[in-house]
Amino acid sequence: MNGSRLSKYAMVAPAVVLIVSLTIFPVLYLLWISLLDWDLQRAGRAFVGLANYAGALQDRRMWEALAHTLLIMVVAVTAELVLGLVLAEVLAGPLPGKRVVIPLLILPVIMSPIVAGYGWRMLWDTQYGPINQLLGWLLGRPLTLVWLINSKTVYFSLIVTEVWQWTPFMFLALLAGLVAISPEIHEAAAIDGAGRWQRFWQITLPLVRPLMLVALLIRALDVFKIFDTVFSLTFGGPGTFTETITLYVYLLGFRNFRLGYTAAMAVLVLALVSLATTVLLRRFSDE
Amino acid sequence: MSRTMRSFILILAITLVGFGWTAAGRAQSAADIAVKAAQKYSGTTLRVIWEAGLQAQDPLTFSGPEWKRLTGITLQVVETPFPEIFSKIVTAHLGGSRDFDVISYVPAWQADLVAAGALEPLDPFLDKYMPRGSLDDIHPTYRQWLNWKGKTYGIFDDGDVFVMYYRRDLFAEPANRAAFRAKYGQDLVPPRTWADWDKVCGFFTEKYKPTLYGCAIQRTEGQDYFWTEEAMRNNGVRFFDPQTMKAQINSPPAVRTLTEMVNANKSMPPGVEKWGFIEVFSAWMAGKVAMIVTWPPPGRWSEGYGNRVEQLKWLPETKVIGKVGYALPPGGHPELAAAFNLGVSVESANKEAAYLFIQWATSKETSLKRVMLPFALRDPYRLSHYASKEYRALWPHAPEYLDTLKSGAERGLLDLAIPGAREYEEALDRATVAVYAGTPPKEALDKAATEWDQVTQRIGVDKQRQAYQEWASKPNAYPH
Amino acid sequence: MHRYALAYLVVAVALAFFLFPIVWMFGMAVKQPAEYFSTPPVWLPRAPDLSHFRQLVLNRSINSLVNSLVIAGGATLLALLVGCPAAYSMARFNTGGRNFAFWVLSQRMLPPIAIVFPVFLLFRIIGWVDTYQGLTLLYAAFNAPYVIWMMRGYFRDIPVEVEESALVDGASTLRVFWSISLPLAAAGLIATGVFTFIFSWNEFLFAVVLTRARVVTVPVAMSGYFGSQSTFWGEAGALSLLASAPVFVLSLLVQRYLTRGLTLGAVK
Repeated sequence: MNGSRLSKYAMVAPAVVLIVSLTIFPVLYLLWISLLDWDLQRAGRAFVGLANYAGALQDRRMWEALAHTLLIMVVAVTAELVLGLVLAEVLAGPLPGKRVVIPLLILPVIMSPIVAGYGWRMLWDTQYGPINQLLGWLLGRPLTLVWLINSKTVYFSLIVTEVWQWTPFMFLALLAGLVAISPEIHEAAAIDGAGRWQRFWQITLPLVRPLMLVALLIRALDVFKIFDTVFSLTFGGPGTFTETITLYVYLLGFRNFRLGYTAAMAVLVLALVSLATTVLLRRFSDE
Repeated sequence: MSRTMRSFILILAITLVGFGWTAAGRAQSAADIAVKAAQKYSGTTLRVIWEAGLQAQDPLTFSGPEWKRLTGITLQVVETPFPEIFSKIVTAHLGGSRDFDVISYVPAWQADLVAAGALEPLDPFLDKYMPRGSLDDIHPTYRQWLNWKGKTYGIFDDGDVFVMYYRRDLFAEPANRAAFRAKYGQDLVPPRTWADWDKVCGFFTEKYKPTLYGCAIQRTEGQDYFWTEEAMRNNGVRFFDPQTMKAQINSPPAVRTLTEMVNANKSMPPGVEKWGFIEVFSAWMAGKVAMIVTWPPPGRWSEGYGNRVEQLKWLPETKVIGKVGYALPPGGHPELAAAFNLGVSVESANKEAAYLFIQWATSKETSLKRVMLPFALRDPYRLSHYASKEYRALWPHAPEYLDTLKSGAERGLLDLAIPGAREYEEALDRATVAVYAGTPPKEALDKAATEWDQVTQRIGVDKQRQAYQEWASKPNAYPH
Repeated sequence: MHRYALAYLVVAVALAFFLFPIVWMFGMAVKQPAEYFSTPPVWLPRAPDLSHFRQLVLNRSINSLVNSLVIAGGATLLALLVGCPAAYSMARFNTGGRNFAFWVLSQRMLPPIAIVFPVFLLFRIIGWVDTYQGLTLLYAAFNAPYVIWMMRGYFRDIPVEVEESALVDGASTLRVFWSISLPLAAAGLIATGVFTFIFSWNEFLFAVVLTRARVVTVPVAMSGYFGSQSTFWGEAGALSLLASAPVFVLSLLVQRYLTRGLTLGAVK
């Protein structure tokens, strides 16, 4: 089918204008600022070339923030995958009542991450939160863990919160993949004498693998940009112990107003994410 | 015209003239001048940025409506959480939009706000409207906050100072006194050093836990630096080397200070690392701790003053009425933690009206009412507040309370106030919390000191040296 | 039967894990301070009432719901308005080809922090900080790629033959798009709109940077209840309920499209 040249481009134009003016143009502006020495604590601004980048690459706090981010990403996404797979496997079968269960299970995904984060902050509270209370019952003695301050527990709390909110996403994606596998394949394998484990590893997993990779990449990219959960739960604390890269850039820009330096670091983040996005896009089968 | 009528008119006339005279006599006061001059702005709206929560109840339910009644000017309150106030003011200014007319800001940030160009100098307004001498009533310590580089940017509005509250009854109990003497060979009295604080706190905790703990201090992130700055200076730490401007917050006495602070947590209630202002005084009012160090308001509420008003209904009912003792915190030089100035935004379209509101709100008469609001978080700061008969009669121990606040102001320590203050504060706060979370004090402070040095270098060592020396020369910069 | 027993056990544990936090959060809304400031925590409020909701009205936090509705609603409409024609053009005429489609999708992946920082500096120049149009346009621009990508998929699902017959009758491209393709893709359109709305409603980083007083959205209002001096648990609970209920209901409406919508169309 062929549309007139004019109308087919005219239909795309408004969207392109909107996207270019509010994302591409700002990014170009960001690149320009990143070359400036512009700090609100000092008057004036000057062109300094790549000095901000050089400074950023030597910034210990940035590398630490990157490491924190990657740690959360790897652990949380892995946990989400495993838990999501278990749930999907359970609910892919002909379980009575699953139509009621599924919409309830995915509510965390629908919630605003900042609201969820603050909610969990109440749950983790040492004195007034139910988590210490529940664990206290299990252990048979009162528990007074300071989850969000103690350096031994804070990552656990953060990751559990993240896993709580996004496991349902993984579950939904994998469920779709599992449901699509025709039962005949399993039956045929069963007749050939394959056990449940064997069938899972040799049939189910390879068949949902492409979908699983896409879901994993989407999640990994999102967690790399994690901000809301950390902002509401720990604000990067104790100290800078859980500071993620987005939070650090935010603090630099909007608390300390080091504009040029912040821009350079934002460009570095942008470059990293773009690289990862390219990998993700290759995974999207277009047809 | 009947005689009755005539005498009625006469009386009316005399009354009216009399009123006129009184009004003329009173027109000298800062409040009246402000109200009168502001009436020509009737119908306009002033937007003020104020700390969210209880602080904002003053402009929302008292000074806002009162100002509206007197001048016809509406006060619109923009509530902002404490850690966000600084960045909101600066981003508003950066954004160039007319977000606020009146700015309620922490004086320690004044240098940065002025450097960013966010604050309007008030001197022309002061010359025009402020009666001579009306600011002399502000306690001399707090008066140091009004100016930066020779100009006035804000009028002081909140006499913050740390106070130690202790349970008279527990300290007086003969069994406790005897047991304490037997154990430590000294009298059980409100501690004057942090070493004694630990002994007393540990003593009570050991005896009463879990129904009562010896002490509690808020340890959650965001405002820890106040306690760190106070304790360090009481231990002889200087923030910078005045010549090289190298940060001194990782010097041996500084490391010792933080070590003491984290050790003190052991006798405090479990989970104290996440306690904020509310948790500390809730526990205090519920009678669950023997000593706390915090800002002035809980000292009023725990005596039952204002405890049941609508704004404070959610507080636990105080169980310690008549048992509250007041003292300066250990070390004897309390942090004059935060406090507020009222200033005018450069972007305001209505600067004169904004200034007049400030003159009225901080005036002797209005400010006394405001620091006496039962739910208020604004604390006494004028010499006339401390001396006020009305205030001193509010509860039996009120005179002792006011005297403690006044001597706290005298002996107190100013927050570090040089360009970059917010960044220095945040770095120190992070280090403190990191120590509470298990990082060795030396390691955390080395990191913070590096961050301080980076801030100093970025802003300029010479500029900072000059600013620091100026700040350090103030009588309340270090123990005196 | 044994197989079901195990499955139900897993489902029960999962439901408890995923729903308990939500129930607890909402429970805060009707607990009294003495209950949520109690150790050990009280599970069931003794005298639930609506005082925290009343407080939201009194302190005008309730305005944030209106702001969120206006901004998320406006952004959704705008994103659909510019996104659908573009998606149609790409689906039917392969406008810009595969690379253009992927470029659009890549816009969706941009790190928000790298956008919001320059956007803030640009908005301050034109006075758009803390305005409805500022945040609405930004949300529209940030979600337009999503709309285009998803709708492109939905338009592709429509058999070409249906449209060709109309074209034979002499209808213009725009006409076919408007009166034939769009109605046929209505379900996808609604689902995409709902997702765009939910994304905008829940968004925090752009909102916290670009609002201050006038157009504060729900997530930003929520953050205001957690200061370092005081935490307003009751109000926070009440607001979390009001913030979540609308999107929960919306998610039920598009149940069938959830997977496709969340996985960027990777699952059809």
